[in-house]
Parts: sequence; C-alpha cells; structure tokens
Amino acid sequence: MTSAMDQKSTQNKDAEKVIEKELSFGPVHPALIEPYRIRLFVNDEIVEDCEININMAYRGIEKLFDGLPVEKALLIAERVCGICSHVHAWNAVRVIEGGLGIHVPERADYIRVLTHEFQRITSHLIFFGHAFEVVGHETFAMRSFLLRESFMDLLQYLGGNRVMPSVPIIGGIRPRADLTEALKKVILERCDQFEVKYADYVRRAVEDPVVMSRLEGIGFMTKDEAIKWHATGPTGRASGWDYDLRKTMKEYKPFDFNVIVLPEGDTKARVVARALEVLECLKIIRQAVKNLPEGPVANRDWTAKEMKYTEAYDETYRGELMHSYSLDQQGLVRNYKIRTPTITNLAAMEQACIGDHVTEAILTIASCDPCLTCCTRAELVDNQTKRSRFMTEYEIVNKYGWRR
Amino acid sequence: MTLKSTSRKNAIHVMLFYSGGCNGCDIEVVNALLSPRYDLEQYGILLTWNPREADVLIVSGVVTWQMVEPLKKIYSLIPEPKAVLAVGACAVNGNVYKNLVGDIGENKEIWAPVETVIPVDVKVPGCAPRPEDIIAGAVKGLPKLMGAP
Amino acid sequence: MSDLNTTLVFTAGLIASSIIAIVVGMAYSLILPGIERKVQARIQQRIGPPILTPGWWSVLKFMYKSKTEPIAQMPRFYKSLVYFGIAIVAFLFLFTTPYWWSVLGWGSILGIAGLLKLEEVLYVFMGSQSQSILSATMPVPDLAKGSKWVGIRREFIEQHSADRTLKMMAIGSIPMYLALIVPFVAARSVTLSNVVLVQNAGYHSAPWYGIPLPSSPILFTLPGALAAIVYFLGFIMIMNEKPFSILKAKIDVIEGGVLEYAANLRAGYYIMRNLLMFALSSIFVTLFLGIPFDPFTPSMMLLNMLLSLILPVAMSALVAFSPILTFRQIYPTTIGLSALGVLAMILSVSL
Repeated sequence: MTSAMDQKSTQNKDAEKVIEKELSFGPVHPALIEPYRIRLFVNDEIVEDCEININMAYRGIEKLFDGLPVEKALLIAERVCGICSHVHAWNAVRVIEGGLGIHVPERADYIRVLTHEFQRITSHLIFFGHAFEVVGHETFAMRSFLLRESFMDLLQYLGGNRVMPSVPIIGGIRPRADLTEALKKVILERCDQFEVKYADYVRRAVEDPVVMSRLEGIGFMTKDEAIKWHATGPTGRASGWDYDLRKTMKEYKPFDFNVIVLPEGDTKARVVARALEVLECLKIIRQAVKNLPEGPVANRDWTAKEMKYTEAYDETYRGELMHSYSLDQQGLVRNYKIRTPTITNLAAMEQACIGDHVTEAILTIASCDPCLTCCTRAELVDNQTKRSRFMTEYEIVNKYGWRR
Repeated sequence: MTLKSTSRKNAIHVMLFYSGGCNGCDIEVVNALLSPRYDLEQYGILLTWNPREADVLIVSGVVTWQMVEPLKKIYSLIPEPKAVLAVGACAVNGNVYKNLVGDIGENKEIWAPVETVIPVDVKVPGCAPRPEDIIAGAVKGLPKLMGAP
Repeated sequence: MSDLNTTLVFTAGLIASSIIAIVVGMAYSLILPGIERKVQARIQQRIGPPILTPGWWSVLKFMYKSKTEPIAQMPRFYKSLVYFGIAIVAFLFLFTTPYWWSVLGWGSILGIAGLLKLEEVLYVFMGSQSQSILSATMPVPDLAKGSKWVGIRREFIEQHSADRTLKMMAIGSIPMYLALIVPFVAARSVTLSNVVLVQNAGYHSAPWYGIPLPSSPILFTLPGALAAIVYFLGFIMIMNEKPFSILKAKIDVIEGGVLEYAANLRAGYYIMRNLLMFALSSIFVTLFLGIPFDPFTPSMMLLNMLLSLILPVAMSALVAFSPILTFRQIYPTTIGLSALGVLAMILSVSL
C-alpha cells in the first residue's frame, strides 16, 4: 500500500508528464447520472490527471432566496437536493433558530434527528447501489435498492412524501410528522427486519473476493491529503480523519453512537465506512424512538425580525454542510449562502483517482459519493485589482456563447 | 393490432435525461426502473443510455442553460417515432425554481417547462412523483408510439 | 452424367439445409436474450422482462423505426459492418451443419477459428468509426483557456473501446481457441465430421428419423471437462459479457463501437450478437457432445437447440454475480485459463 502511495506522490510532483489523449464523459452518461462532466487525461489506460466540470447544474438557487419571507424560503431550501432534502430544510431553520434564539421543543429535535438518520440510511443505500452499479455488479445494486425501499416507506409514513418529507418548520416540526405510538412500533419492527437483511447483504458484499479485488488498492488518499483537500464526511473518515460534526451538535447530545473511522483510505474503505455507519444510524433511530420525550412539537411563539449574518453547520451524509443568511428589517431573507459537502470533496475526488485505470477512476469518483445538484458558481478574477466576483450561467452564456 | 404496433408495445426503450433538477425525480426514476419492487422490465420497458436505442426520453428537472443544447441534440438523435416524458413538477412547470422567487422577479438561469426546449407528450406532475405515477406516465406515451407510421 | 446429378442433388441439399438452418437458428437465437435477462432478473429478485421482449420484439421494433444516418467517419462503411457481421456469424453457424462439412474443408477448426477472428476484428472497425454524441462532441462548454492541459487530442469513447478490443483480441481469445482445439486433438483430425464420428459412431449411418445418441462424448473425459470450462469462459470473452465486458463497459465506454447503430442497423446488431451466442453454444454441443445441428435429422436438431441453452443460462447466472474486471484482473485470469487450456490439450493426446 505504501509503495503505491509513494508512487502516486512522485507522479504528482512530476510536472513534465506527457499526456496521450483525453477522454471526456457526461453530462449524459450511465455512470454519472447527474449532469457533470469528467475529463480524464490518460496514457493508454492509466489516468494521469482528472478534471471535474460541475457547471451543468447551475440553477441560481442562492439568488432565489433573496427577498423571500423565511417560511417560503424553507420550501426552496428543501429542494436544493433531492437525496438530502431533510438536512437542507433542517439546517435552513437552524440558522434562524440560532440567530434569533428560538426555543425548539425537545420532542421536535428528536424527530428531526430521527428523519435525519432515516435519510442517511437511504442516501448510503443509494450510494451502495450506485457504487455496485459502477463496479458492474447488478445483483448487489438491486439488493441495495430493495433494502432502501423499507426506509423510503418509513419516510413516507412520517412526512407523507418519499423524497421531500418536509419535517422541520421554524421552531419545531410539522404536526403531521409527529410520531404516533403505532408508527413507533412500525419503525422499531422495520429496523429489526432491516438490520438482519442488511447485515447479511454487507457480509456477502465484503466477503465476495471478486468484487473486493475491484475495490481494494485503488484511489488512495492519506489522512494529510484528506485534510489538505477538505474531504469531509465519510470520505475523509475513511482516510483516518476523525471528524464528525454530530459529536459537537447539541441535538445529538442525548444519543450514544460511534464515529466510524477507518485508516486505510482506499475505495474499499470508503464503501465499508458507509456500510458501518448505517448500523450506527440504526442505533440512533432506536434510541430516538425509545427515549422520545413527551411535549409539544412546535414553538409558534416567534416573529421574524432583523438578524445578523448567521451560519449553521451540519453533518450531512456526504460531509459538512453550511447554510447562512441574514434577515432584513421586514424579516426577508438576504445573502443566502450554501456550501454543500460535495464542493469540499471535489478536489479529493480529482486527486484520488490519479494513477488508476479509467474504469477504476470513475469508481473512485463514485466512491466519494458526488451529489452535484447543489451549487455551481463561476468566479471571475480581475488580475489588476485582484478582486473576484461570481458570475451566473446566464452571464457566461451571453458573454462567451456556446462552445459549438 | 398489427405486428408493428405489437412490437412497439412490447419493447420500449426509455432513456433518462437529467437536465438539472434536485436529484429527487432522477433517483425515483432510476429507482423505479431498477428496484425489484417497481420492476419496470416486467412491462417490457427497458432502460438504455444510448439515444440511438431509445424510444422514450424521460426528462426530469428544470433545464439549465448548459443542458439546453445537449437536450436538443439528444432529442434530435432519437430515431422516429419517439415520445418525451416530462417527469416531476420542475419539468412540468418549473416548480419552486421558476415560481417562487423573491426580488429578482424572474429566474433567468433556467428554461423552466421542458416544453420550451423540446415538445413534450406526457407530463407526470409531483414533487417528487410517485414511482406508480411514472410507470403510468410511461404507459400513457404508448398510443403515440404505437400509432405512428 | 451421374457425377453432375450427384453434384446437383448435393447443391440442392446444401441450399435447403442452409436456409432451414439459418431461419431456425435466427428465430431460436432471438429467444436467448430473453431467457438470459429472465435468469438474471430472477436472481435479482425481480420478475424480469417477458421472454420475447429483449429479442424478438426489440428487433421487430427497431426494424420499424425510421432509418437514420449514423454519425461516423465513414458512415457507409460503418453501416456495412453490421451486415458483414451477420454474414460472418451466419457462415460460422452454417459451417457446423453437416452439409457444409464436405465443402472445401470449411467444416473444420480452420473455418471456425478464422471466422471467429474476423468477427472480433469487426469491433475494432466499429470502434474506430463510430463518433457518438455522448463523449467528446457533447455540446457543453468544458474547455478552459487556463486549464493545465491545453491542446490534447480528445478521443471518442468508442475509439478507446477499439484500443481495448485490440488488447482483448491479443489475449482474450486465446483460451477460446485452445479449448476449440481439444476435441480435434482428441479425434486426431481437423474436420468436424471426424470429431462427431469419434463421439457419436452411429450418426453417419442413421436414417433421418433416427435418434443416434452419442456413445462417448468428450465432455465426460477429464481433458474434455477442463476444455469445456475454458470454452465457457472464452465464450464469455468472445461475447464481451460481464465479467470480461471491458470493451463495452457500461460505466465508461457505454456500449463501445455499436453506440451509433440505430433503427434497422441496431436490429442487425441484435441479430448478429444473438446469432453468435447461439452459434457458439451450438458449436459447443457439436464438439463436446457429438450432437450436430442437422436440419435433415430433426431429433438431432432439437437436441442441439435444447442443449445450446446450457451456455447462455450459465453465462447469465455468472453475469448476475460478477463485476466488470479491469485489465488488472483480466491478464492473470486469461493466463491462468490459457494454462488450463494447454493442460487440457496435452491430456487429450492420450485419449
């Protein structure tokens, strides 16, 4: 393992590389379902450099928030991403709750955490499905999608929608999403059934020598590299970086869970780290259901007033998420900024796949779990004044036109 | 029922074009097509990633500026007869990205209904639509395919 | 005069048997992909497509689609490749039917091996011709002036697939050929008729309604069994299916050189692929079990068709349980398989 890493670091230093050809994939491609483009610079089969172009999904979301009442802004915040919809909605309300000091009932916090962990499980199972699809193993992908359905059902029971459960509102949760005794029983039952099937699934996947020979020994990233490239979330934790925001969040204080940290730092570690994390999620879900405190689920006693620029951080399924905005005198949203985990993981993806085969490079990128719908920006730097500003897609196309 | 329409009814190749929504519909479509629970293949609907092989183009999401040209190009590459399925509120009317705006008045970053870019035959509303709805939508596109010369 | 008469009768029989063989073979081969998909789907706990959908109905549907011009460097050449492919595969199949055994020595190891190699070369041509929209020419702004790499040759994914095809041709087909040779070595002959004769002594003298079952199939000897294993994996390599589908790996080169075939050409490609699958399975039954596809002996024809299901079903079961291997794993696998093939060949000398 060390020799491979040494080789890679020397390759990085070698600036006089000769590149034979460029292969470009996307934005319409079976391996990268989302609209982004990978440009691989290859010699024969070996990837020498990689460029990921994420501009295709720019929707101007941050601009939409400007001047909206906060309750309405929440609707957009949830639709930033369809895989991690709950955490965007939750983090958006955490900003104003932190900024204006709105008290959140304890029961609401528990149910928010519960939904968070539900979606973490579904997100990780999408990841397995996608990763095994990229490995080429359809059966494991199908098993993963089948397992995921049980938690999609739970999300539907809880919030009414499979994808957008809309659980949090400012000051609590939607009363519709309150847990009844019957639902509690269903959740615990489902968790038990799921755990048995899931453990069997993971055991079979990890013990399959042919599949693991594809995953092992590629896409190395050391701990220092992970920190240098800001690879947060399971991607960084699989490289031995013990960094999980959940340990510092007050919502997670009552729960007892472990942070999965693996020292290997290859593609297999990134898959296994997520696989083990799902079991920790189940732990949290059981605790949340069993220790659910009684009381109201929403605190309606608040008014939107002027708020300074406030930030909120959350540990999403892919890494660290930041939401921040301020409110003006009328209580309208200003200066919304979102930094999604994939933005911070991009550099890690680009670097980790250097030195592998083309097929494996795409697997490495998939193993970092990209979710690029969230944010895209173009930065324009003026060389004279050294100042930069963001350009919108509209401006770019108007100014530079289409390539062809 | 001629041999032509029977063959078109029994083998439908769908292609997913994800033009920049929020991932929700996209995952639902791939999930509905793939997962054993809503197995679309049992109805003779097969997933492909090649416009040359496809009959039905499923477009999910608002069309962002950079995806306009690829969408037009890929639509033009599908051999006739073809049908287009707009899946999700974004593809049908622009959803929050088009209709819920603050000060800027109009979101110029997106081409909101897919209809403004390519002709749409079937619309499946919902944010995100249920897998059952998507399957029903795929079936709604059939008469156009079967009736074509 | 009698010479001419025998020639005429023989030619008439040859033509009749060829027509029956091609029609029956093609019709039957288009059922195989449905069975293949169904087996995979059942393994994945799904219901799966109707048996006729991936084969028959798809081909018919593509026939009824409007013709479109492929995007290729030389479109007419690219279009002709699929017809060449069908012709090559059809002759490969015909050479194993008894009437062709005596024609110019084509019913021998030379005919089979030569045509198989030609079939592989087609993929190189297809890959170098096709220029699909899905890679380099996708109209998105992705080139930056300030990029680290400027002015590098942009390649289509199909061309990369053609590179991989060359590698697979060099190493991937060796196990198949080694396994093909084993029955011929065991029969001490290069012609198919002798291979069948050794295993199925009663075949040549049986009447058309007889059921001459093989007495000593090579499959049930040690070298034959080894060779059958090697043949099975070589069959997957020639078919470019998982785990050896690197030249049309869905995750990077999508489908490889056949990406641009649309409408009737795609129907042609489907026919070519499925007929090749049936031809190779049928050759397996002929060589290793001594049951040839004889259009004028219905019992043998039906038996051959039935036993031809073994390889596709086994293949689809393997496909469902295996990932795509990269060249990192394909090289050692092929070397090991070739060694096994050589061992089988050496052992078969003693038969």
